[in-house]
Amino acid sequence: MKRSARGAGTEASSGLLLVSPPAIYALVLLAAPLATIILYSFFTDGYLEVIREFTLANYWETWVNPLYRTVMLRSLLVSVLVTAATVLLAFPVAYFVSFHVDPSRKSLWLFLITIPFWTSYLIRVFLWKVILGYNGVVNSGLLSLGIIDEPLTFLLYNTNSVVITLAHAYAPFAILPIFVALEKIDRSLLEAGQDLGETKFATFCRVTLPLAMPGVVASVLIVFIPTIGDYVTPQLVGGPEGRMVANLIQLQYLRLDNYPLGSAIAVSAMGIVAIISLIFLGLTRRYLRAPK
Amino acid sequence: MIPKPAASGQTMIEFKDVHKWYGDYHALRGISATIRAGEFFSLLGPSGCGKTTLLRTIAGFEGISEGVVLIDGKDATDIPPNKRPTNMVFQSYAIFPHLTVAQNVGFGLRKQRLAKADLDARVAEALEMVGLKGYGARAAHALSGGQRQRVALARALILKPKVLLLDEPLSALDKKMREQMQVELIKLQRQVGITFILVTHDQEEALVMSDRIAVMFEGEIAQLSDAETLYRRPNSRRVADFIGTMNFLPAEVISETAGSIEVEAQGFGRIHVDPKQAASEAPGKSASIGFRPETLTILHEGQQATDREVGAVIEEVVYYGDMTYYDVKIDGTQKMVRLSMRNVFGRPVLDRGARTRIAWSPGALVLFR
Amino acid sequence: MKGGWFKLYALAYLVFLYAPIVLLPMFAFNDATVIAFPLNGFTTKWFSEMWVAPGLWPALKNSMIIAISTAVIATALGIFAARASTRYKFPGKAGIMGLIMLPLVLPEIIVAVSLLVVLLGIGVPLSIFTVILGHVLMTTPFTIAILSSAFQSLDRSLEEAAYDLGETPVSAFRLVILPLVMPGIISSLLISFTISLDEFIIAFFLGGTQVTLPVYIFSQFRFPQSVPVIMALGTILVALSILLLSIAEYFRRRGIAKSGGKDTGGFL
Repeated sequence: MKRSARGAGTEASSGLLLVSPPAIYALVLLAAPLATIILYSFFTDGYLEVIREFTLANYWETWVNPLYRTVMLRSLLVSVLVTAATVLLAFPVAYFVSFHVDPSRKSLWLFLITIPFWTSYLIRVFLWKVILGYNGVVNSGLLSLGIIDEPLTFLLYNTNSVVITLAHAYAPFAILPIFVALEKIDRSLLEAGQDLGETKFATFCRVTLPLAMPGVVASVLIVFIPTIGDYVTPQLVGGPEGRMVANLIQLQYLRLDNYPLGSAIAVSAMGIVAIISLIFLGLTRRYLRAPK
Repeated sequence: MIPKPAASGQTMIEFKDVHKWYGDYHALRGISATIRAGEFFSLLGPSGCGKTTLLRTIAGFEGISEGVVLIDGKDATDIPPNKRPTNMVFQSYAIFPHLTVAQNVGFGLRKQRLAKADLDARVAEALEMVGLKGYGARAAHALSGGQRQRVALARALILKPKVLLLDEPLSALDKKMREQMQVELIKLQRQVGITFILVTHDQEEALVMSDRIAVMFEGEIAQLSDAETLYRRPNSRRVADFIGTMNFLPAEVISETAGSIEVEAQGFGRIHVDPKQAASEAPGKSASIGFRPETLTILHEGQQATDREVGAVIEEVVYYGDMTYYDVKIDGTQKMVRLSMRNVFGRPVLDRGARTRIAWSPGALVLFR
Repeated sequence: MKGGWFKLYALAYLVFLYAPIVLLPMFAFNDATVIAFPLNGFTTKWFSEMWVAPGLWPALKNSMIIAISTAVIATALGIFAARASTRYKFPGKAGIMGLIMLPLVLPEIIVAVSLLVVLLGIGVPLSIFTVILGHVLMTTPFTIAILSSAFQSLDRSLEEAAYDLGETPVSAFRLVILPLVMPGIISSLLISFTISLDEFIIAFFLGGTQVTLPVYIFSQFRFPQSVPVIMALGTILVALSILLLSIAEYFRRRGIAKSGGKDTGGFL
């Protein structure tokens, strides 16, 4: 039986033809480079050149040398803290905009929330340095109010400042997916919850929250994955004890010319992120089977 | 009324054993039919029956897996939609939102490179035909549903196609508007004399508008005939059930001669059915007698049946204003059947539980076997 | 009080979001070299110093070349991908689209180093050109997100109507689809331009000796005396990006209104 439709099958080929320019671009400039650094991470570093000899030494160094291990673990900790802070702080805002803002003004609120994200990232990070610094806004404010006698020093050049700055940078990323999920909730479901005898709060816990979970999961991932690789923030406000994995990678590549070790660190970081993300997705899987 | 140019009888569209597969899904299962030039033809069926797919094979938006579609005698397989002598009114109307009404209507004339004055005249003429005179400068997105539909009609008809394809054109309109547009479409078709092919799931719409109707189920044409035949002599219980209401009572075929079929029908006793009133379905199925709600009459006090009568009990009364539906149980049957009576001034609506007599004649009964 | 506490919280959150941006003009117009409180009086001298700052103009020129090229190339690639993903079914679609969208979640440093390794490996000298390669990779997913929603809100039958009325696929695209997605294209150009203009890591790794504006700014942070000038520059940049975004938002909304859709809000 000849089942292949005349004229059909062109659908698949026109689709492939159309998608091929961006696909080839991504293949050549993304997939191939990623494969290359994975390959490099198994090569041996010779001075100023890469020796094509298979070794696991780079991974050994990455995972055993306390210098690298500490930075790796710290990056992970910072990412987890940033993600938790960002998502927890963002949820009520998304909830407010979705449930308490007049529909005609919702896009204005979203616009206001997204604007800071589009302004110079470098300058924003630098300004956090100004806000949190020794003579910064927070300290001078608290001093003039008489709450403290001398400037607080734990604000800047450590993990705290990195967390605060990153939480600020990724705020819109966290708000938007949650907002989208909340918007999709049929409002009559909430009325049904209350109609069936639940309080507002219980309705929130039993109806709203589970239905908003896909958005929460999306914002967790969209914040967690890139933060671990952030370079500017730890560099500018982290100080020596706020260094993160991106600074390490930069050091290996641009200063020490140790591509294999740099690659091993980068691949390890990606690996950890991927594994944690998959575990997280697995744990929240039951919320994600959203009926279409 | 504008006199209708009789369908010339020439074939405009011919399907020859048309099949369409979507992967493993068999959407069209051997369609063979002809549509005549100048007729108003409807494809009627429930959603998913393949009627829209069949329409789109005429327009050229769907390729077919097997068979041939001939348009005006030419194999259309390799003719792209833009080269076919067919135009379409889409279900969503597909009015270009960035253009004015006039630009929409004149869209298809671009290739003809008309002088500005000629173009304007053609557009104005088309707009007048659909009752939108003077609307040319309006922005398309500011139109109401009914107006969008008229623009879509004008845009398709301005190209003087041999066939106009209408994909559920009235489904987005409210009831009043829909009924008005049904009449307008019939008039328009008579005026332009073009073959209209309508896809609809609304049996009433198909009956009102069409010269001939093809009822489709699951990718096959179940029956193709004019509206009256379809209603009076459906060729299967399924078609009968889909078009209006049909009551069924068990029956048994006793004997059969060339001119008459003798049937033992529950409630009606032994009757003779004209073979023209008999639908042959798959063999082995048990037989039934079917009748429409309005073909039997509930007799009121003292009224005499012209032919025959049976006793019955009224079980349920549903009042519709101009009509009343009675669910009755005919003596000697277990199944409730539905009858409808026009409410005549001065005659009371009967009560639930009342005993009554029903007039019937064998000519109203259809045999399914 | 309906949503009163939520509103209070949301406003506090906005203060948190805008805190750094509000400080920016304060220090840009503050008559002191040290970026700290208390403020020291009004001046516009940092803006005039910016005019003659060495290295700033070449960096700006590089950034403009990169951002404009990135916007055009990424939007062009985005049109292909968005059209393919919204209109066609093809084998491996999820995988292909996943790969193209991957930079959205990949840390930029990973993209930067992996490209660096390959480019140096095959002997491509680092320059503006290599930065463009990286920026196109980073911004294409954003353009796809914007353009997909533009293509998505397009009724498929509009295109079929154009064919039905005698147009070829190419002329139908030009006469019907392009005008309707044009607002999305403009918005995509503006967004990818803005992202590229602001991007630091890839420019830092792949620019070689050719410095972009963010790389210039980053280098100036090391010299406290040049920071006020950077504040002035930042004020102008922020004002400019708010302007560009407002234009982008305007076009996005007009696009939705034009195709008769409903505004679901947001860029992403």
